[in-house]
Amino acid sequence: MTQTMAPSDGRAWRRFKRNKGAVLGAITVIVIALLALFAPVLAPHDPDMPFKSRTLTGAGVPIGPQREFPLGADPLGRCELSRLLYGGRVSLAVALAATLLLAIVGTSIGVVSGYFGGWTDTALMRVVDVLLSFPFLLVCMAINKIVARPGIWVLFLVLGFLSWTGLARQVRARTMQVRSLEFVVAARALGASHSRIIVRHVLPNVLSLVIVLCTTLVAEMIIVESVLSFLGVGVVPPTSSWGSMLQESDPLLRTVPRLLAVPGLAITATVVAFNLLGEGLRDALDPKA
Amino acid sequence: MTSFLLRRILAALAIVWAVSTLSFFVTLKLGDPVATILGPRASARDRENVRRYYGLDQPTYVQYGRYMARLSKGDLGMSYRYRRPVSTLIAERFPRTLLLAVMSIAFEVIVGVALGALAAARKGTRTDQTIMAGAFVTMSLPTFITGKVFLLVLAYYFGLFPIGGYGVTMLDHVYHALLPALAISLLSTAAYARLARNELVEILQAEYVRTARAKGLSEPVIVVKHALRNAMLPIVTSLGLSFGALFTGAIVTESIFAWPGVGRLAFDSVSGLDVPVIVGCVIFGSFGIQLGNLLSDVAYAFLDPRIRHG
Repeated sequence: MTQTMAPSDGRAWRRFKRNKGAVLGAITVIVIALLALFAPVLAPHDPDMPFKSRTLTGAGVPIGPQREFPLGADPLGRCELSRLLYGGRVSLAVALAATLLLAIVGTSIGVVSGYFGGWTDTALMRVVDVLLSFPFLLVCMAINKIVARPGIWVLFLVLGFLSWTGLARQVRARTMQVRSLEFVVAARALGASHSRIIVRHVLPNVLSLVIVLCTTLVAEMIIVESVLSFLGVGVVPPTSSWGSMLQESDPLLRTVPRLLAVPGLAITATVVAFNLLGEGLRDALDPKA
Repeated sequence: MTSFLLRRILAALAIVWAVSTLSFFVTLKLGDPVATILGPRASARDRENVRRYYGLDQPTYVQYGRYMARLSKGDLGMSYRYRRPVSTLIAERFPRTLLLAVMSIAFEVIVGVALGALAAARKGTRTDQTIMAGAFVTMSLPTFITGKVFLLVLAYYFGLFPIGGYGVTMLDHVYHALLPALAISLLSTAAYARLARNELVEILQAEYVRTARAKGLSEPVIVVKHALRNAMLPIVTSLGLSFGALFTGAIVTESIFAWPGVGRLAFDSVSGLDVPVIVGCVIFGSFGIQLGNLLSDVAYAFLDPRIRHG
C-alpha cells in the first residue's frame, strides 16, 4: 500500500467540484481541446486555401463574418474560423508536448536532486541557476531563428528543454520533505532499494504537485508559443497558430480589429481556463488546505 | 552581512561567467559569420581579411581566451550589422529600457499594493471578491495582446497616446512611455495586488494589530501604518526579481510600441542574425537577472532583522 500526503481521491474530487471557477476552467479546457482535436471535421474550409476573389474586396481588405465564412477572412483571404481551429491544434499541441517534456525532465531532476542530496544536488541546482539566468524569451527566439529547419518540433523541444527549472526546484523541495517522512525512513531501514523507494514512495507524493504546476505551465507555454510566433520566430507559414494569426493581422490591425480579437480571445480564454483549472487543482490536492 | 554579500556577488559573477561561456560555444557552431558580414559574393581575399580581423582564424581556445579577456573589460565585440561596439549599442539603448522599467514598476507597486490593501481591509465583501477576480483574470492576460488592444483603443481610436516611438524631449519620452509602461505593468499589478492582499490578511490577524484596534485606532490607520509596513517585505523582495524579468518582457513590448530600447535591439539582432549583438544581449540580460536577484536577497536581509543578525 502506497502512502501519500495528499488527501484521498474522493475528498479531493469533492473539493474540486465545489469550486465553481475550477469546474468552469475544466469545462472550457475540455471544450477547447475537443474543438482543436476535431478541427478537420469542424473546419468549413482548408485553412491554408486562399479564396481571394470571394473573400477579399477590391482594395484587398478581408470580408467580415458571413454564412460561408463565419468569422470572415484573414488578410490572405483564407477562412478565419478554419485557421482558428487548426491554429488551436498547433498551439495546444506545442504547449502540451512541451509541458510533458518539461514535466519529465523537471520531475526526474528534482527527485534525483532532492532524494540523493550532496554533490548530485549541488551540481544539478547550479545547472538550474545558470539556466534560470538566461533571458528565456531571447534564447528561445535565437535558437528558433538559427536552426536550419524550424518548425513545431523545434519549438516544442526548445520550450520543453528550457523551462523545466522552476518545476525541478519545487519537486526537489517536496522530495526532501518526503524523504524524511517516517514511512520512507522505515522502508529504507527495511532494506528497500533507492529505485524502489523513489518509485513507490517519492513519485506518488510529488505527483499532485507536478500535476498542479503543469496545468499552469501549459498556460504559460501557450503564451510563449504565441509570443514567438507573433514575433515571427515560431511556426513557419503557412502553418497557423494563434500567435502567427496575430502576426499576420498586424498590418491590418487598424482597419480590421476582428483579426486581433479572434486569436486574442482564443489565447486569453485558454490561458484563463488553464489557470482556473490549475488553481482549483491546487486547492483540491494541497494537503495543507 | 559583508561575507554574505561577498559570497552572493561571487555566485552571481560565476553564473554570468557560465552563461557567457555557454553562449560562446553555442555561437561558435553557428556557421560562418563572414558570410553574414560580407554577403555571398565577396572575394576569397576579403573573406580571409575579415576572418583575420575578427580573429576567426585562431584556434578555439585562443578565441575563447580573447573573448573572456575582452568581456572582463566590458567589451562585447562588434556588431556585424551596425559595425559598432555591442556595448555602445546597449549603453545607448539601456536608459530607454530603464525608463520603461522604472515607470512600470512604480505603477505596479503603487496601484497593486493599493488595490491589495483595499481588498484586505474589506476582506470577504463584494469589493474584495471583485478585486481578486479581476486580478486573477488580469494575471492571465498576455502582455502582447493587452499591448495591442491598448494601442488600438487608446492610441488609434481615442488618440490619447502616441501610436509608438520614442519622442524628442525628456517630457516627450515619458509621454511616449506611458502606454507601453501601462501594458507591461498590468500583469504584475495584479500579482502585487494578490500578494499584498494575502500578506495583509494574515498580518491583520496578528496580536499587535488587535492591540492597535483595542487602542481605538481607525481601520485605515491600522492598515496603512501598522500592517502595510510589515507586508512590504515580500513585496520589496519580489521587486528585485521582477526587475530582471523586465528585460525579457521588454522584447515584446518594445517591438509592439516601436520603443528603441535594449529589447528592440535584441529583437532586431535575432531577425538579422547579428550574432555578437544576440550574445551581448543574452549576457546583458543574465547580468540584469543576477543583479535583480542580488538586490532582492540584499533587500530581504536588510529588511528582516532575523536574517541580518541570524
